[in-house]
Amino acid sequence: MLGERAPQTIQRVRGTTDVLPPDDARLRTLEANLRQGFERFGYQGMQTPIIEPLELFLRKSGDEIVARMYAFSHWNRRLCLRPELTASVIRAYVDQLQNHSLPLRVHYGGPIFRYERPSRGRSRQFTIVGLELIGASGAAADAEVLHLACAGLEAIGIKRYRLVVGHLGAALQLLAQLGMSDHAQGLVLDQMEPIARGRVDPEDAIARVVSLLGGGHQSTNGAASDLPPGLASLPPEQATAIAQDILSRASLPVEGGARQPRDIIERLLAKARRPDPTDQVRAAFEFVGQLHAAAGPPERLASQLQPLLVRRGLSTAPIDEVVGAIDLLRAYGPLSAEAEIEVDLSLARGLRYYTGLVFEIYVESDEGPLQLCGGGRYDDLVRALGGREAVPACGFQYGVERIDLALPQNQVAANRRVLVVGVSAADHALALEVARTIRAIDGVVVEQDVRLRGVKSALRYADRAGMQLVVLVGERERQEGVVVLRDMRSRQETRVPTRDMVDLVRQALT
Amino acid sequence: MSALRLALPSKGWEDDTLRFLGQCGLRVDRSNPRQYRARMRGLPSGPAEVVFQRATDIFDEVNAGSVDLGITGYDIVAEHRSEEDNVLVVHGELGFRRCALVVAVPEGWVDVTSVSDLAEVAVELRSSGRELRVATKYANLARQFLYDRGITYFTLVEVTGAIEAAPALETADIICDITSSGVTLRENRLKPVAGGVVVESQACLIGNRRELQSDPERLETTRGLLELMEAYLRSRQQVSITANIPGLSAEDVARRVLAAGGAVGLRGPTIARVFPKEVSDQEWFALTVVIGEDVLLPTVEALRRAGAGEVSATQVRYVFEHRSWTFEALKRQLQGGVASAESGAREKTTA
Repeated sequence: MLGERAPQTIQRVRGTTDVLPPDDARLRTLEANLRQGFERFGYQGMQTPIIEPLELFLRKSGDEIVARMYAFSHWNRRLCLRPELTASVIRAYVDQLQNHSLPLRVHYGGPIFRYERPSRGRSRQFTIVGLELIGASGAAADAEVLHLACAGLEAIGIKRYRLVVGHLGAALQLLAQLGMSDHAQGLVLDQMEPIARGRVDPEDAIARVVSLLGGGHQSTNGAASDLPPGLASLPPEQATAIAQDILSRASLPVEGGARQPRDIIERLLAKARRPDPTDQVRAAFEFVGQLHAAAGPPERLASQLQPLLVRRGLSTAPIDEVVGAIDLLRAYGPLSAEAEIEVDLSLARGLRYYTGLVFEIYVESDEGPLQLCGGGRYDDLVRALGGREAVPACGFQYGVERIDLALPQNQVAANRRVLVVGVSAADHALALEVARTIRAIDGVVVEQDVRLRGVKSALRYADRAGMQLVVLVGERERQEGVVVLRDMRSRQETRVPTRDMVDLVRQALT
Repeated sequence: MSALRLALPSKGWEDDTLRFLGQCGLRVDRSNPRQYRARMRGLPSGPAEVVFQRATDIFDEVNAGSVDLGITGYDIVAEHRSEEDNVLVVHGELGFRRCALVVAVPEGWVDVTSVSDLAEVAVELRSSGRELRVATKYANLARQFLYDRGITYFTLVEVTGAIEAAPALETADIICDITSSGVTLRENRLKPVAGGVVVESQACLIGNRRELQSDPERLETTRGLLELMEAYLRSRQQVSITANIPGLSAEDVARRVLAAGGAVGLRGPTIARVFPKEVSDQEWFALTVVIGEDVLLPTVEALRRAGAGEVSATQVRYVFEHRSWTFEALKRQLQGGVASAESGAREKTTA
């Protein structure tokens, strides 16, 4: 109908980036440099697959991550693109490395995928580099990880940064003290990070968590006080039997799908005994707010944070752990003079598996703070992923593209580049030999003219491509045993004997 | 000159759609009811080509550009949307085929009344080695809805045939499906849960961005279509009333009517002198005004107080405003603006 139409172009998937030259070289060098630094501390590289079973991240990564996964079903297997790497590393540890002597030190790097609204510094595929220290607990291990995170950034030239150290122990203790269920605790922890970053209004967060827990004004459950006193004081076993009996006498069906009548009635009664979660949730967020307000340099910790925990009857062990780790961090050697440390016990990372010290590193950018690094301690993950025993572990990840954004300039030195051109097709074989000889010079990139469109065209290309030197080989030169060196900056040509070529090329390139 | 190509939903949707178009003054002609191609008349720029398709296929047809516009359910659009599609919602509220995509559980789950209960049930099933199975034809919407409410342990079950039967057949535990009256749910011993509305839906008009951008003629035809739809939808709650009122002058009548507190309309009443067929010592005036149906009786009362004899009211067929708001919104969308026709339409009704 419309005749031949040119095929439509194909756009890249939204939120992803094509890394083009020369960015690729710069990013690869950056990634390699970061990982190289870890090796000096005994960390060894490893890699895990980009696709993983969906189940891996459902276990412990948390709802916020799960809701942003690229998940799919392929031939009836539920898979996803990994949204983070720690769970993958621990899966591999549980699967194959449990007999390895501890501690196990590994580093890794690669792309991860999260379905988020793309913006500057946030794409849906990005590269992380990280490490895990598996099988060590306590301040000494935490401090090693903190040190590597800071030292790695300093080594590549980021000296002005802010290290925020937190500890989930404070919040977790309070949530347990309030008697909140695991589910409820998870929901509160998920909201801590967006609140602290000002992305969510605290009142909205409270309302959201309460409604997710079925409480508040839209509650359709009877409150605990509505339960008749006799029933409330009965042991759950008996109460269940009575309720089941009544319902079956009334021939009300209590079942459906895979659930048994007993499960349903037990849950009905458990729900009726439970208080409305609004007050608990409010108390939890108030406490988190107080922790956040008390954040500051480590020196202020004792005066500001300590009383906050003591007043609630909570253990101050989290504070001691943070102080211990920071003291040891300083013992590794002084941090950059422009580095700042802040302690904020309301810091919660987007991941559900952290159990102790957590930290993040920021730099200032035109658009506000840019997070370059995040990590922490996760002592339950090995067990949750089926490990034989609980193994304490901690680690962190850098965002490679973000670090690249934060670095002042493209710092990859331009290679010295040479183009070798045969004047006619007959000269091509000799030109190849010349190219091979020059390529032996360390650090020199040699391109071969393969379009064979003549010297003029080749020189134009060399000029645009930023070559420093062009080596021309023609019939006359072949006969005379010389080559022509053309310096692209001065545009001067010199005829040099083939045997002196390597020395003269080296000279011309310095 | 290229004719506008419009896809209309067939099967169970057909009668409602044709009735709606008829009320807008658009007539769909086809040689026999089994024909799936037809022509639609009533637009100034000539007939439009019509093709009947299943409501679920219309999104894809519009996206592919094999038709310019289509009428389908908003639920279907929401499920099939992607960030990179070519589909624009041109009018989001055509006012028929209202329904909602809801989460429903077996009636026997007496402990489950809201979505928050489901999060717990999912965890509980999980700890006993099972998973909450959700039967749905709306995999994308259902998955996102459950994730957003902290429910992560579930399996979506693809069901062929009646979704509502899945729990009874034990191929699923709960369902996420369309309901309008809730009767089918009840018949299948299912109940909707509080906070379980995934999306409210009704018929909507969608269009292909590229096709509409590339052809001013078809875009102009679309404007005509939108004018009629919008004017009809706006007219549905409006009545035009005429009352004969005696008085000294038009000003006198206006003063008394306004004092009685009624019949103001959008800008105020039109009052014209009546020339009686018999000689009378009194002057009579006819008052005409368009008002909302909801204030019909209070208005009649007010007119009586102002001395009105008889009052007649007629259903208004169209109410045009000085421009088509949905078309303005469409133009903004085509220019790459963010305003959608849905919010454009809402903007208007609240203005």
